[in-house]
Amino acid sequence: MTLETQRKLNDINVMVAGQGGDGSLTVANLLGVLVGRSGFRMFTSRDVASRIKGGHAAALMRASIAPRGCMGDALDLLVAFDEEAVERGGPWLAENGFVIFDSSGGPAPREHLPAGATVYEIPFARLAVRDLRRDLFKNSLGFGVVARILSVPDDEAADVLSRRFAHLPPRVAEANLGALRAGFAYADDNGLTEGAGPLTLDRAAASDRIHISGNEAVAFGFLAAGGRFFTGYPITPATEILTWLERMLPRFGGVAIQAEDELAAVNMAIGAAMTGTRSMTATSGPGISLMQEGVSHLGSAEIPLVVVDCQRSGPSTGMPTKPEQSDINMVVHGGNGDFPRIVLAPSTPDDCFELSVAASNLAQRIQGPVYLILDQAVSQDSVTTAPFAVDAVQLAAGKRLDADDLSATSEYRRYAVTDDGVSPWAVPGTPAGMSLVTGNERNEWGQVDTAAANRVAMVDKRARKIAAVRDDLPLGRRWGDPDATIGMLGIGMELGAMAEATERLAARGFPVSGLQPRTLWPVLDETVEFIRDHERVYIVEHNAEGQLSHLIASVGAPHDRLRSILKYDGIPFRPGALAARILDAEGVAR
Amino acid sequence: MTTTYQPAIPIWCAGCGHFGVQAAMNGAIRTLEIPPHETMILAGIGCSGTVQNNLGTYGYHALHGRVLPTAAGVHLAGHLVHSFRRNASFTYVVMNNGVYGLTKGQNSPTFQSNGSAALEFDAISLGLSIPSTTFLARGFARWTDQLDRLMLAAVEHARAGRGFAFIEVLSPCVTYNDTYPVWEASLHDLDADGDHDPADRAAAFAKLTALAETGRMVVGQIYLADDAGPADPLPRPAAEDTSPTTNAQAYAELLGRYRV
Repeated sequence: MTLETQRKLNDINVMVAGQGGDGSLTVANLLGVLVGRSGFRMFTSRDVASRIKGGHAAALMRASIAPRGCMGDALDLLVAFDEEAVERGGPWLAENGFVIFDSSGGPAPREHLPAGATVYEIPFARLAVRDLRRDLFKNSLGFGVVARILSVPDDEAADVLSRRFAHLPPRVAEANLGALRAGFAYADDNGLTEGAGPLTLDRAAASDRIHISGNEAVAFGFLAAGGRFFTGYPITPATEILTWLERMLPRFGGVAIQAEDELAAVNMAIGAAMTGTRSMTATSGPGISLMQEGVSHLGSAEIPLVVVDCQRSGPSTGMPTKPEQSDINMVVHGGNGDFPRIVLAPSTPDDCFELSVAASNLAQRIQGPVYLILDQAVSQDSVTTAPFAVDAVQLAAGKRLDADDLSATSEYRRYAVTDDGVSPWAVPGTPAGMSLVTGNERNEWGQVDTAAANRVAMVDKRARKIAAVRDDLPLGRRWGDPDATIGMLGIGMELGAMAEATERLAARGFPVSGLQPRTLWPVLDETVEFIRDHERVYIVEHNAEGQLSHLIASVGAPHDRLRSILKYDGIPFRPGALAARILDAEGVAR
Repeated sequence: MTTTYQPAIPIWCAGCGHFGVQAAMNGAIRTLEIPPHETMILAGIGCSGTVQNNLGTYGYHALHGRVLPTAAGVHLAGHLVHSFRRNASFTYVVMNNGVYGLTKGQNSPTFQSNGSAALEFDAISLGLSIPSTTFLARGFARWTDQLDRLMLAAVEHARAGRGFAFIEVLSPCVTYNDTYPVWEASLHDLDADGDHDPADRAAAFAKLTALAETGRMVVGQIYLADDAGPADPLPRPAAEDTSPTTNAQAYAELLGRYRV
């Protein structure tokens, strides 16, 4: 390969795949560090089977100079540890893409690959076992070949590997370096000489960045917002919030507990929230189903709690490791009775952080349930982003009464009817603040009361709490051409694909403007106005029934301007495919 | 003096065992001179789920069947089994009448379908089977002297941080399941049994099981761990300084771990 024929990339899509336990994530992580040094941003994702161990597992990585929130249209490089990896990744490979195939068991199944693909067949596992005595060294070996394809100097690749294995015994680190060198040697034999691979990476100025997932960002935001009590029950794709907080909260005097089930989780959180401790619970759709009684109770008894729903494909147990946005109806309308609630829906990790903080504050202000809804992709994909503005976090305590406040007043009614519907409250343990808290309808004193006039006063009081915070609810993110007559709207993981599809459409002379509503309930005026301001708006969502579209229509957005773009196959949108669906719907030739 | 809610008059039927339970709870709180603001009574749904309205303390009316996790949450610590296991320091009073009075008399899980006094679901046996249990007692609503004493001991145990104090009160429903005579005739009082050592878990289990096979139920201090020291190692998040300013440096360090 001569330098003249090198392709210089500012955006590279890579898939490393094999059986779970093959170490696909290791290779992807090494590659991530390598390209990060060139100032690339990363988007990393996983595609795993819902299995205890093993099963097909893929690490997906996109490295780009521009910030991207989804995988690109095609793979530039596929590192395949078995045939299944080629079957799954092959159809997604670019026409001029590269494949590194572990040929220990035979040649690559070419029928799954585009004709123009370059395939390097290397018996990684056999080499690793023969020369290095351990199958896992095939990852370091593979990384050596990847580095050569990307024209990365050997020293640089070795440095990345050394740092990665720095925490391991020197013997192991040295053995991996040996495997890397074996990879270089194999590359030499296959015409991949140092610094002269078929691909090179563009460079950009490095800046201060973090790489973090949505779940980690939600947990971090909760901590920064003063959250000190968390309960959860393990469930994909929410478990990382539980494990993160189990690790971190005790260091800050907080408590994180794995409850016996989701019913206990929400009720323990309710108990803790009553003490004035900022509390949260997190689960996925099946757990949210179980928690509905608790959420209704929060609304009735007026207890502040953040409930996180990391949505996955439903119904019922569905597809645990696949993303969907099909709990919208449940979180907006679920639970018995009429009660106020807020539903926030973040997209990127920085959005997860911000809205996690906002959710904690809003729960205190409305003394009620605030949902934070993600989807599997938002939860588990990691993105390179600017460091969170931890310094800018402010806590809103809501209306609280301490012993001094109480001693200065002649009466304390826990559920006093007020103009904004919010009743100042004293937490248990406060002298003279004795109160009765109940999910039954009750009077201002907290005593069960079913009188008609009291009932109406209490329902209305609780409803007013939303009006009181409405102006402070998080506004949506916008992109694209504000003058466009066509709009695009979606939440969560759709943002990345929508923003990039907008660029593609603009390049085709088809301008659109976009909105990611961050407050889903109540539906904000800006959302309805966005529909009114466009001739047509494509509502992009991952569910089969158009739940978001129905929600927006239900509050007065003109139906005839809404166009649903639905996907429910468990796979996120890729930007090109999304752009194509809009062009098709518009009747514009692609 | 700040006026708060007026304690309610109990809604129970004349002769209900729950009056005895409430009197014992009230007696323990007064004997120990616990101010009302330092007491929180959490109760579930049904007849027993109104006791918190009557004593002037902080009160919480839980969702049906969810009082234990909520109490554990308040106490920052688990369901029955998990509360035994977590050994969280609070007092749990089960008012067992075998029936749902408030929905007019359907059987509850502890209803004795065979008509005998032997419990078909025995929470005490369950508690004994869990190694971290520290306090197990059963009282009978009509035997008020013993009930008062057991309740006081339970509240003291929990307040001293020695762990989860479990007390079951056989509290008959005179309206739908009047078990006063059959229960009273079947009781075996361990406190009056010179052989019983409450610190001997295995002996307690053996005695309870043997008596159950002859249709008898034990009351009294069934088990009390003699080495129950201050448990409850959990922190108190409600008292933490959560201000962003105080924690700024720690948060910044945490963020640093994600730098690339």
